[in-house]
Amino acid sequence: MTGTKVLMNFEVTDTSHTLDAYLERGGYQTLEKVLKSMKPEDVTQAIVDSGIQGRGGAAFPAGRKWQGINPYDGQPHFLVANADEGEPGTFKDRWVLEHSPHTLLESMAIGAYSLAARHNFIYIRGEYDRPWRRLAAAVEEAYAAGYLGEGILGTDFATDIFVFRGAGSYVCGEASSLLGSIEGTRAYPRNRPPRMTVSGLFQSPTVVNNVETLSTISWIVNHGAEAFRATGSDASPGTRLLSVSGHVRRPGVYEVELGYPWGRLLHQDCGGIPGDRPIKAVIPGGISTPVVPAALAGIRTPDDLDGVLLDHDAVREAGSSMGSGGMIVIAEGTCMVRLLHIMLRFYHQESCGQCTPCREGTGWMHRIVERIVAGDGRPEDIERLYTISRANDGTTICGMGDAAGFATMGILDHFRDEFTYYIEHKRSRFEGNIECPGS
Amino acid sequence: MPGIVIDGRELEAEGGQTVMQVALAHDIPIPAFCWHPALSIAGNCRVCMVEVEGRGLALACNLPIYDGLKVHTDTEAVRNQRKLTLQFLTLNHPVDCGICDKAGECLLQDYHYAHNGSPSTSIDPKVHATKHYSLGSRIVLDNERCILCSRCVRFTREVSGSNVLGIKHRGDTSLVRPAEGRSLDDDPYSDNVIDICPVGALLSRAFLHQSRVWYLTTTPSVCPGCARGCTIDVWHRKPEWRLQAVATHRNHTIARVTPHENPAVNGPWICNKGRDLAALVERPRALEPMVKGEVVAMDQALEAARQAIAGAQRPLALVSSWGSNEELDAFKEHLAPRFSCAVKEDHRQQPNEPGDDHLLLRADKNPNTTRARALFGETPAAVPEGTDLVLVWGEGFDFDTIPDGVATIVLGAFDAPENGLAAVFVPLSIHTERAGHFTNFEGVVSAFAPCFPPPATVADAETVFPQLAPQGATS
Repeated sequence: MTGTKVLMNFEVTDTSHTLDAYLERGGYQTLEKVLKSMKPEDVTQAIVDSGIQGRGGAAFPAGRKWQGINPYDGQPHFLVANADEGEPGTFKDRWVLEHSPHTLLESMAIGAYSLAARHNFIYIRGEYDRPWRRLAAAVEEAYAAGYLGEGILGTDFATDIFVFRGAGSYVCGEASSLLGSIEGTRAYPRNRPPRMTVSGLFQSPTVVNNVETLSTISWIVNHGAEAFRATGSDASPGTRLLSVSGHVRRPGVYEVELGYPWGRLLHQDCGGIPGDRPIKAVIPGGISTPVVPAALAGIRTPDDLDGVLLDHDAVREAGSSMGSGGMIVIAEGTCMVRLLHIMLRFYHQESCGQCTPCREGTGWMHRIVERIVAGDGRPEDIERLYTISRANDGTTICGMGDAAGFATMGILDHFRDEFTYYIEHKRSRFEGNIECPGS
Repeated sequence: MPGIVIDGRELEAEGGQTVMQVALAHDIPIPAFCWHPALSIAGNCRVCMVEVEGRGLALACNLPIYDGLKVHTDTEAVRNQRKLTLQFLTLNHPVDCGICDKAGECLLQDYHYAHNGSPSTSIDPKVHATKHYSLGSRIVLDNERCILCSRCVRFTREVSGSNVLGIKHRGDTSLVRPAEGRSLDDDPYSDNVIDICPVGALLSRAFLHQSRVWYLTTTPSVCPGCARGCTIDVWHRKPEWRLQAVATHRNHTIARVTPHENPAVNGPWICNKGRDLAALVERPRALEPMVKGEVVAMDQALEAARQAIAGAQRPLALVSSWGSNEELDAFKEHLAPRFSCAVKEDHRQQPNEPGDDHLLLRADKNPNTTRARALFGETPAAVPEGTDLVLVWGEGFDFDTIPDGVATIVLGAFDAPENGLAAVFVPLSIHTERAGHFTNFEGVVSAFAPCFPPPATVADAETVFPQLAPQGATS
C-alpha cells in the first residue's frame, strides 16, 4: 500500500509505544515548537486550514468545532478525547492507543494550549485493557519527562490529562453522554442546543474529539495545513485509519489516503475473501452506516480493483458514509436477515432508553426481526420496519436512534428479496449463514 | 424583542424563551409529556415536535426563540410524527384505562385521542415490567404504565431536593426506582409526583381505586396545615353523582387534595400534609350545643354564653389562629372590647414533623397567625390571676392551666372532653364547610370556599360572635 502515512508511519515493535521510541521518531518537537513560537489561535487556524473532518463518525470539520471556543474568555475549558470506540466493527483508535499513545498525548497538549484547557480527559472504554495500560504508562512517562503538568518544556504553560475508564456502554461513545459519564451522572445524551462548545463538561465549553482526529493534530501542526491538504482528496483531505473486519483474509487496521480505491483495499491489501468468493456487501463505517452492496460500489470480485473511492463524498454518493471507518466485509452467501437480527439485538440492548423513538423503536424492530428469523414473519413486517426506521430518523436526542434506522433501511433497501423469501418460506435463503462459507 | 411567528400569528415574546413557553403563553396547544413548566427541560418524550420553516422538525420545548423564527404546529410532518411517537408510547403501555386511576385526566389518553386515534400497529407481545412497586407508604409505581418522561425524577432532584428517584437499567427495560435504601417516605413533598405523572404510573395509595375522577369536582381552598397557606383544590363528589345507598359518607368527605397553582404562594406544589387534609379536618365532630354538659338548642347556648360574658368581671378570650380573616374581624369588632385577648396556637409542630424548609413547609402549623397577631397582639396564651371567665375558641389549649372554679365557654368543631365540662359549648363548622380568607406568613391573602353544607346543628364562628356580644355594647 502506498501513500502518505500520518499515524502508521513507523514500524511497530515491542517498544515502539514507549516515550524513548517516540522521541526517536521526533516526538514532542511539535509541542515545543507550538509552545515557543505559536499563539493559540494559530494552532486552531492550522486545523481549520487543514480541512480535517472528524474521524469519529459524523465527519464534522474539527477546526470549526475548535473555533467554537474562545481561549481568552477566562472560562474553564475542557478537551476530551473520545476513546470509547464502541461502534461495532471499529478498532482503529485501539491501534493508536496501543502503538502510539504519545502521539495522542502530544496532540492533546497542543490542543489544550490552543483551547486554553487546563484539564483534559481521555475517555477510554473499559474493555480496552492493553490500550489502557499502555496509555496510562505513557501518561506517567509524559509527566515524568515534563511534557504534561506544570511548566511544560520550560514555559509557563500547564495542562493535565486524566485517563477515565468507561464501564462499557455503547451510548457513552456519544460525546454528550460521555461527558455525563465523566461527571458521574447517568450517561444520557444531551439535547442541543446548547452545543458542547458552549456548555459541555461541568457546564463549561468543551471540545470532544475522536482519538484519531486528535492524534492527527500534531502531524498537521508539524507539517503544516498545506501538506495535510496535499494528501487525500480535495473534499476530504488527509488519511484515515480503517479497521477492516469480517470475511477478509487479512483483517486489521489500514491507513489509507482518502480517495483510495475501495476495491484495491479489500482485494489487494486485505487479501480478498477466503475461498475467493465475491463480496456481497460492505458496511463501510461501523454498523450505524447503511450497507453498500458490492456490485453497487464496483468491488464485487477480485478483478474489481477500483470501484468507489474511499472519501467522504464518494461513499456518501454510494448511499452510505465513511462513519467511524469500521469496515465490515460480507461475502456472498451470507444471510442478511440474520445479520440484521444481530445488529438490531445490539441496538435494542444498547439503547439508553432516554427518548421515546429509540427506546421503543429499537426493541420493536428487534422483536419483529426475531419473529421473522423464528419463521413467524408476516408480509407487512417489512413495511412496519420501514415505518419504525423512518420514525427514528432525526427525531432522537442523539444519533443512535437514527443509526438503528439507517442500518435497517440500508439492508431492507438492497436485500428486501431475502426478507420476502424468509417470510414466505419460513427459512433463510442462505441457510442462516453468517460465517464465511467455504473458508 | 424578538418577533416570532407561530402558525402564521405574529407573537410577542421575550428573549430567552423557548417556543413551548411562547406557545403556552398564547394558548397554542403543543402536546408534551416530559416538559413541565416548573422542571428542567428533558426533551425525551419527543412529542412536542414542531416544524421550523427551513429547518424541519424540532423540539418546541428545547428551541430558543430567535428573530424571524417561523414555526408551524400543525403540518402534515408534525401530525405524522406525533402519531408515530404516540404509537411508540403506547407500544408497551398496557391500555388498561378501565382500571387506571389516571383515566380521565391522563395526558397519554388525551393525546392519543387528539393526535393518534388508531390502534397499535404492533402484533408483538408487550414488554412486561413490575406492576405494583412500592415507593413507600403513600405511593405505588406501575412500571408498565410508565413512559419514562422522568418528570418525577427531576422533581425529587430539582424541587423537593430529596434525590430519591432515578432511572435504572436502559432501553425499553428502564425502570424508575428509588435510590438504594431510600423511599419516597423521605420526601415530604412526594405526592406531587402523582400529579405531574402524565400517565397512571405513580398512584396514590390513599386515592387508589376510590373514585373515577369524572365523578368528582373541585372547590378552591386554602390549606390550613401551616402558615404558608397553600392554595389547594379540594376534590369531592359531584352533587349529580351523589351516592344513594352505599358509602354515602363519601358525598360529604374529601376525596383528595391537589395543589391549585399559585405563583404568589406555593407555585404548582403542596406538601404531603396538605394532601392529608381529611386527617386534619375530618375528625370526630362535636355537633350539639351544650350548657354544662346538657344538650340544648343553639339559641339557648348562645343566650347562656352571652349572659356569662356580660356578667364576668375579668374575662379572657383565647383567639384561634385557625380563624379566618372575617371571623377574626368579627371577634375584634364584637367581643374584643369585653375581653382581654390572647392568640392561641391551635396546632403545634409535632416531634416528627418538619419545620421551616427550603420549599413550602413552615414551623407554625396554623394558617392565620399573621392576621390574629395583627389584631390581638403578642400576649401569651395564659390565664392571668383573677380571671373569672375564659372563652376558648378552637383547639390546642391546655385546660389544666385554668384555675379551678373559673368558668369556660368553648367554641369548637371537634369532640373533646372539655366540651362537656364547659359552662357553654358552641359547635362550629369545619374548614371545608365555611368560606373565608387566610393571611399567610408573608401577608398574602387567599380565599377558601365551602365544599359541603355544614350539619344543621353547628354554626359559623363569624355569625356566632355578634350574637355573643353584650346587648348594645358594640352598636
